[in-house]
Amino acid sequence: MGQLALQDVKKSFGSTEVIKGVSLDVKDGEFIVFVGPSGCGKSTLLRMIAGLEEVSDGTVFIDGKVVNNLPPVKRGISMVFQSYALYPHMSVYENIAFPLRVAKMSEAEVEERVRKASRILQLDERLKHKPGQLSGGQRQRVAIGRAIVREPSVFLFDEPLSNLDAALRSDMRVELSKLHGSLGATMIYVTHDQIEAMTMADRIVVLDGGVISQVGSPLELYHKPQNLFVAGFIGNPKMNFVEVTCKASAENSVTVTLPDGGEVEVPVKGQANLEGQKMTLGIRPEHIKLGQADAHISVVANVVERLGIHTVSHATVEGANTSFCSLLDGAAPVVVGEAAPVGFNASDCHLFDSTGAALERLVKLEDVDPAMLQVEPA
Amino acid sequence: MIDKYRWWEVVAIYAGIAVFLTFILAPFVEAFVVSMRPLDALFSIPYRFITEEMSFRAYVTMWENVPLLGLYIFNSFLIASSVTVFALLAIIPAAYAFARFKFKGSNTLLAAFLAVNMVSGAVLIIPLFKVMHQLGLLNTYFAMIAPGTAFVIPTGIWLLRSYLLKIPKELEEAAWADGASRMYTLRRVIIPVAMPGIIVVAIATFIVAYAQQFIYALTFNSKNELNPLPVGLFQFFGRQEVVWNELMAASLVGIVPVLVIYIFLQRYIVAGLTAGAVKE
Ligand SMILES: Nc1ncnc2c1ncn2[C@@H]1O[C@H](COP(=O)(O)OP(=O)(O)OP(=O)(O)O)[C@@H](O)[C@H]1O
Ligand SMILES: [Mg+2]
Repeated sequence: MGQLALQDVKKSFGSTEVIKGVSLDVKDGEFIVFVGPSGCGKSTLLRMIAGLEEVSDGTVFIDGKVVNNLPPVKRGISMVFQSYALYPHMSVYENIAFPLRVAKMSEAEVEERVRKASRILQLDERLKHKPGQLSGGQRQRVAIGRAIVREPSVFLFDEPLSNLDAALRSDMRVELSKLHGSLGATMIYVTHDQIEAMTMADRIVVLDGGVISQVGSPLELYHKPQNLFVAGFIGNPKMNFVEVTCKASAENSVTVTLPDGGEVEVPVKGQANLEGQKMTLGIRPEHIKLGQADAHISVVANVVERLGIHTVSHATVEGANTSFCSLLDGAAPVVVGEAAPVGFNASDCHLFDSTGAALERLVKLEDVDPAMLQVEPA
Repeated sequence: MIDKYRWWEVVAIYAGIAVFLTFILAPFVEAFVVSMRPLDALFSIPYRFITEEMSFRAYVTMWENVPLLGLYIFNSFLIASSVTVFALLAIIPAAYAFARFKFKGSNTLLAAFLAVNMVSGAVLIIPLFKVMHQLGLLNTYFAMIAPGTAFVIPTGIWLLRSYLLKIPKELEEAAWADGASRMYTLRRVIIPVAMPGIIVVAIATFIVAYAQQFIYALTFNSKNELNPLPVGLFQFFGRQEVVWNELMAASLVGIVPVLVIYIFLQRYIVAGLTAGAVKE
């Protein structure tokens, strides 16, 4: 079993509080991804779950048991380090066998388990080599092999794929997802990489300065970010934010005035007392289109990147000093330095109040194929 | 690497090395030449590098003149090796502790070790003699090994600590996460990875121990059979004359164990033993 819970967990180094109260429930077999900007405490939180870092306050439960004071092995976790942390003087075989040797397993069982792990990770040919003779991807697999031989119920990964090149990274991503499927263990995975987060996670935890900003499935975070931070963090290129003023608020729509005077009626849950307030309109670059649309905004392109399939236009909103990015057709007729209107649909808009909290959008997540929300075991 | 030196820079570098080596090696060359000369040609004036009747006779006769010479060499070797082994037993765990654990007073202790280093054993020789006398340890191997060990430990800790600091912390954390105890990690992970550093410390310790045993042997030991080579060499100082050629021959032969140890150990100083441990 690999059920895990954090209850108002805090961590301070000296007088600086790094984790400021995190609560999270993780179901058995779930694939959880921690994302967040550098220094927000992802590694620290992971290390606290692992038992490598003491918990200053709060409780960590694994399978319903308080594990705050247990060493890592007793917690039934194993960890894959960002820096592999292989034993350089041991062969691949001995590296993978290390946890079993510590547990004083019989030679036959060690052999069997190492063979099994090396088969899963395709390291059979490499068992006699030293880590120094392996490529980055192979080293990473050895590190994973060392983690899986003990058959723990919770796996912790700290940015295991950073430092690998793009091609290898996408291969390893698939392998890790497969591994998750075949082992059925709980996995907690720290990453900087949005694609990793979006493709592998059952649920993503977005951390911001030591607190959880939002927890949700990848598409939930994409379609219904709860605040400006998550809205700006998830999605690439970043969501555009435009300062707007609220004109009217109804139960199922809020009408706002754009900087150039145009109006949009955004389908979000309205609130009382919004009229006249400054708000932020969020619109993703991929939802910008040229031509027919619910609303238009005039922008001046500064840089135009032609990627073949897409055109990325980095622009400034005319009359305001707000940057505005659009992801358009490969052949989109965008000219640098010329003001041109770009359009978007009201239903694609996000709306945030002056505190940065989102007004709930009236999109149904069920509109999306539910199969896409769950990574089915392969 | 790109060869970035001009020819005259290369010449200057080699000239520098030559001067340096001359200073270091000249005594050895002279010792060797002296060991080959017959006694009466030793003080010929003017000085001549090559004299007549040079031979290796001294290397044979020295064993007859000082029958215990072999034993002295053995004692020297035994004392220096024991000092090295015992010192390493203390240095490795201590250096590990200083490199990895944060505890109150660790910096003070390290500074204290450095301070102890500045006081050479010679300063403490009289108090040590008292202690040895009281404990009835005079005229034993122990009397020559124990103080020697004590005085090489601080340097060793400093040397090895700086090496251990360079070993990535994740290695230990990984071992800890895999369930290994501190001692198991030290034995199976840290020591093997730190082997080049340990060898350097071992060589340095052995050489110091080999050199410093003279003073301890001279003060704490009067049993001839326990004497190390430096004290044993005194027997070549006769009533009337010093048997210089045999003395030099014996000295050179006495260096051999150090050379052997050095050649044997330096094979283990391989660069890049940590290759592949962590992402660079
Ligand atoms: N041992 C420590 N002592 C003091 N401060 C620490 C320690 N470890 C981490 N911190 C601080 O805690 C904060 C969070 O660090 P952490 O390593 O968890 O960030 P992260 O989210 O993993 O960042 P990155 O994405 O860059 O790996 C940082 O500001 C860091 O300076
Ligand atoms: Mg980190």
